[in-house]
Amino acid sequence: MVSQKVTVTNEQGMHMRPASLFCQTMTPFSSDVKIVFNGTSFDAKSVMMLMSACIKCGSEIEIQCDGPDEADALKKAVELVEAGLGD
Amino acid sequence: MLKGIAASRGIGIGSICVIVEHELKYESKKITDIDAEKARFQAAVDSFKEETAAMAEDIRKRIGPKEAEILEGHLVMISDPTMSGEMSKMIDAGQCAESAVEAVCDMFIGMFSKMDDDMMRQRASDISDIKVSLLKLLLGIKDIDISSVAPGTILVAKDLTPSMTSQINKSNVAGIITEVGGKTSHSAILARALEIPAVLSVPDVTTLVKDKDTAIVDGTEGIIYINPEGDVLSQYIIKREEYIKKQAELKNFLGKPTVTADGENVELFCNIGTPKDAKKAVECDGEGIGLFRSEFLFMEGGHLPTEDEQFTAYKEAAETMNGKPVIIRTLDIGGDKDIPYLGMKKEENPFLGYRAVRYCLGNKDTYITQLRAMVRASAFGKIKIMIPLVTCVDEIRAVKELVSEIKKDFDANGINYDKDIEVGCMIETPSASLIADFLAKEADFFSIGTNDLTQYTMSVDRGNADVAYLYSTFQPSVLRSIKHIIECGRKAGIPVGMCGEAAADPLMIPLLIAFGLTEYSVNPVLVLTARCIISKWSKKEADELAEKIMNLTTESEIVAALKEAAKE
Repeated sequence: MVSQKVTVTNEQGMHMRPASLFCQTMTPFSSDVKIVFNGTSFDAKSVMMLMSACIKCGSEIEIQCDGPDEADALKKAVELVEAGLGD
Repeated sequence: MLKGIAASRGIGIGSICVIVEHELKYESKKITDIDAEKARFQAAVDSFKEETAAMAEDIRKRIGPKEAEILEGHLVMISDPTMSGEMSKMIDAGQCAESAVEAVCDMFIGMFSKMDDDMMRQRASDISDIKVSLLKLLLGIKDIDISSVAPGTILVAKDLTPSMTSQINKSNVAGIITEVGGKTSHSAILARALEIPAVLSVPDVTTLVKDKDTAIVDGTEGIIYINPEGDVLSQYIIKREEYIKKQAELKNFLGKPTVTADGENVELFCNIGTPKDAKKAVECDGEGIGLFRSEFLFMEGGHLPTEDEQFTAYKEAAETMNGKPVIIRTLDIGGDKDIPYLGMKKEENPFLGYRAVRYCLGNKDTYITQLRAMVRASAFGKIKIMIPLVTCVDEIRAVKELVSEIKKDFDANGINYDKDIEVGCMIETPSASLIADFLAKEADFFSIGTNDLTQYTMSVDRGNADVAYLYSTFQPSVLRSIKHIIECGRKAGIPVGMCGEAAADPLMIPLLIAFGLTEYSVNPVLVLTARCIISKWSKKEADELAEKIMNLTTESEIVAALKEAAKE
């Protein structure tokens, strides 16, 4: 498993649109993708779970990827969050 | 007469159609043929997706992509592996599709409705919509087709779901009344986009009316009448015609320059409170931002905003305005505006105390952070710095000194900024008015703040009901002060704006034209109204009126004379 911490910088945080973009981008990877926030782990391929985490602008999250393409998945996920999740 | 929230302006008169809420009753039974139940569930989900996608497409075409986003969100949610996955799992365990849908949706509704975030709580109502739609599909319940109601229908519902609103047409729906929902609810947004008058949050309205009752929806005032008396009805018919005529007239001013009847150009800007409001200013055809109150940055978040946080907000406003001026007022706290974490002392006379520029110059670190953010943001648009509550020349000099030090630092560190960034002051104290000629030599522009100027000139606390009658911008002393400020600015060759409520007052506008105000800054929704009134006065007519007005000795005479001269 690989993981990395990253800060959410888009103004809206993990709302509908950013969360669905994140899920859509991560779903094709065969690795499990999880976001750990405030000590709880959320399935990052589910919009509902991601939104239920209530991640806001400025929150630090940890992205965990586990599976055959974990390195690529993590790289993509971090890029996406750092680029502001499409906002 | 019943009161509610004025959610979409205009007047609608027509015949009521109550949208009945179906009872979504079912017996939760143990399922034996799980495959058949799953197929039934899947069919409902498929129809839901199909209908929702069609509605989203329809809203996108008729109203706009932003409004369609809500329905697209529903599609994303129902397609989510957790949502449909959990439902499937429950059916696998032998529950019927209805109770699986209800249980899973209720779980998410519970989760989202507890969040401390408005937008997230809104998701709870989305999931509730999904639940109702899916249950209706499973139970075979059909809603009435709103798109085929008779012309002149007033819709009355507990709440409008997105699926209902997508069927609403301006050609047959004359007004909307609901029991729940506020100004920013989905129903309100759609009603405004479709320009259908709407009054929301009228308690128990669905039980107070019946089909075919006559109703008046006054979406401007937020009131409704059910089966009104004859004279109320006839008055409203006239009011509705006037409103429609006025709206058509105002639309003619969209995209036009702001000019007086004799062709003199003035600037018409907007007052805003957050960078997002800048979009509204653009939509309402504002020509710039005349007052960006920076306090929101300090009120939200519970901590002093960092330079980067402020920079981001100022930059957003500057970029939204795309090169048009954005005048940002530096922190204006104290007086009646308190920010708890700053730990400001309670004062005997807060309006005469440690507030606005006085506080800022006494807390230079905080102030420099704000000024740096503004100067940095000036690289992305036409930002101007405005100092509130100036009373003497030393204050503007001190601020200009801070700005020039920041510029030196930026030059040394290669940070981009607008080298010509202007620093101006608000003229809102009697002292500033009396020395306006001195201040005009130091400031790049003036902006008259009529609320404080009136309060200080009249020595009246407008929150005190016993003396509030004295609080009027039309007092001769206040008018003389305004005239003097504008003349001092003009003599020094600097622009003079006004960002108080008076700048959009139809009675005040001819006087401002006569005095030579160069920039009017108003609430975004008043841009077209102000532009329309300005277009009706020539300088000559305004001068004649002003000459007469400035010789009247009491406020009541002045207001009466202005009302008589007013041009509707």
